[in-house]
Amino acid sequence: MKINILSFGQVAEALNADQLLLSDMDNTDRVLDYLKSVYPQLQTMEFTLAVNKQLIHGNTALKDDDTLALLPPFSGG
Amino acid sequence: MIQKNKKVFVEGAIQPAFIGDEILKHQTKKNIGAHQLFLGQVRNDLIQGQEVIAIDYSAYLEMADEKFHEIREAIFKKYPLVCLHIYHSLGRVKAGEISLFVLVSAVHRKEAIQACAEIVERIKKEAPIWGKEIFGDESTQWKKNT
Repeated sequence: MKINILSFGQVAEALNADQLLLSDMDNTDRVLDYLKSVYPQLQTMEFTLAVNKQLIHGNTALKDDDTLALLPPFSGG
Repeated sequence: MIQKNKKVFVEGAIQPAFIGDEILKHQTKKNIGAHQLFLGQVRNDLIQGQEVIAIDYSAYLEMADEKFHEIREAIFKKYPLVCLHIYHSLGRVKAGEISLFVLVSAVHRKEAIQACAEIVERIKKEAPIWGKEIFGDESTQWKKNT
């Protein structure tokens, strides 16, 4: 299974990419643990998560081809 | 009548002539008695002695489109409005230029004023849009909404 990772703003800068593809991760905590180990800057950054464009709160199951977005605090307007 | 999938994002600053044209278009809708408009302008904040000269806006477009649609539906349900238009910039907008334009039209002023205020607050809080402040020496920092 594959998970599409999207990142924005300061998170995209930390990852040096706005899109990543990960495989074999069946929940959001696993993805976060992995990303934080590869990109330690994420450990101190503030961001929320959206799965398939819906904000989530707490660990969430992922299925093949889901899109997980890392969203730093919004600052539009 | 709620128009779906309206285009919100415009590239660069929102031009004053565009705002004027939008108002002009409403002269045919003669049941409108009040327009309330909000214009967000990029401010030249001084941050640690450095002046903000522009903001570079980016967004999670697919999610933002859904969020704007959700806001429109909720506002139309809550207030008796004739129409509602939201425009937001993407890309670079210089200090002094307009980056957000909300135009709410109603039969009477009260609902137009209340709805417009609520829309602006919801956009600031809920729309997945990010502003990167650009300083005179091209250094940058991510904007924080207060």
